[in-house]
Amino acid sequence: MKKFLFIALAAITLSSCADVSGALFAGGDGTYDFKNTYLDPEFQVDESKIHLLDLESGTQDTIYALYVGDFAQIATDTIIVFLHGNTPSMDSYWQTAGLFANLVNKHHYGFIMYDYRGFGWSTGRSTGAESMAADYDAVLSFLQSQGLTSERMVVVANSLGSLPAGPAAAGGSRIPVQKLVMEVPQSTANVIMQNATGLSLPASMITSYKFDLGQNMEDYTGELLWMHGTEDAVAPIETAEAAMQKHQGTYYQEAVYEGAGHGLRWDIGDEEWSKVVLDFIRH
Amino acid sequence: MMKIKLFAVLGAVITAVSCTPTKVVVPLNEGQWQIGVTQGRPQINEGYLPVIGAYAAKGVSAAKTNYGGIQFSSLLLGAVQLEAGQVATLIPQQGFKPGVSWSYGGQAFMSTRDYAFRFYPETGFNAYWQKGPHIVNASANTWVDPTWFLADFGRGQILAPSFSAGYRLRYKWFEAQLEYKILNPTREIHIPQAYVPNTSGLGGRGFFYGMAINF
Repeated sequence: MKKFLFIALAAITLSSCADVSGALFAGGDGTYDFKNTYLDPEFQVDESKIHLLDLESGTQDTIYALYVGDFAQIATDTIIVFLHGNTPSMDSYWQTAGLFANLVNKHHYGFIMYDYRGFGWSTGRSTGAESMAADYDAVLSFLQSQGLTSERMVVVANSLGSLPAGPAAAGGSRIPVQKLVMEVPQSTANVIMQNATGLSLPASMITSYKFDLGQNMEDYTGELLWMHGTEDAVAPIETAEAAMQKHQGTYYQEAVYEGAGHGLRWDIGDEEWSKVVLDFIRH
Repeated sequence: MMKIKLFAVLGAVITAVSCTPTKVVVPLNEGQWQIGVTQGRPQINEGYLPVIGAYAAKGVSAAKTNYGGIQFSSLLLGAVQLEAGQVATLIPQQGFKPGVSWSYGGQAFMSTRDYAFRFYPETGFNAYWQKGPHIVNASANTWVDPTWFLADFGRGQILAPSFSAGYRLRYKWFEAQLEYKILNPTREIHIPQAYVPNTSGLGGRGFFYGMAINF
């Protein structure tokens, strides 16, 4: 018995508690070379409406955001707040920015996306719920100062972006979220652990980042559009569906595509994707 | 680099927690000790991941060996993973007719973050052929998840089986172990942004190594 206690105590002491949450974030370098040259012709924007912003996040970090549109629009028009997926920087979503900037017609909606800490030029390191919430709040703080109000804000979250979008929609947003698009979202931290091991292990075995989009959706009272592909190997549809269907808000819409994977927009095409999103925004 | 880090840690989790190498296939001699280190190398993307554990075993009779082990990879991630069990000869080997041993035990996990605890009983059978220092085995093992209902969204499964085939060189004080293992072939294994090579669309797989001393 003494031997067992010794081993158990030694094990606890030896444990360095490495946390995988940092490893979940695939941040990297960015060039921020946002030019029409890199956009398909139908997604071209007025280059005078491309604005790179640096915003304070928390007390020590600076995050970078890209706003496409007139700043004056923020106080009067619908603004898309885009939370990007797990790529090194928002460079990968420049085409997405062009698409949103051309929904309906050129610069009909304002569009903003940003890099989380440790992504692109944003300083610091994303570590979990706290850093993600602070980065989101930095962007919302800017938008609020420019006059954005709740009924004109649409939050669109892609994959990793669903992690900060969930708590924000559930009441953690200084501008309350009324319209939310969850594109290929994850579900819970536990699910990632359980899908990797096949066991009922909680995520706390490897990380302190406890996200739970199911709970967030249960607490979210606004409108939700969930988009997913049946062949998504990064965010399995079964668990994403279970999380999204906990939504009890004012309006729920789902768009599930047979055979589509995690790169949903590429799989279903810009036309279909834009149509579904636009219908939801106008709903 | 970050991507490598991501699949490395989650891949480590796969081996560290869902399946550990088979420690003892043929029971040791009575009174004999064996201390070893094991390295699981599950295949993630195009690479293999080194995951390390250690164990000690003792022959408590001619037909039964007790063992206990610890997974250092789990420790690194903040979970204490201890295992213990017994391997018992069911049918002794007779010429070309293989011997059969039965293993049973359990794996205990405790999070150092919130002290969440899980215990998974495990059992398995090994068919082995031993000739001199050479041991060849084929094994089937399963973990039992008594808390399957705690998995999110009702996705738990009661059994987490694995199948393996291996070779061991048990020569005097030294033993080298190599086995190829198919993990959890009853469900899909997902690691975000990584590809887990599988068998017929299910499970994971990889080589496991071990080295031990006998005394």
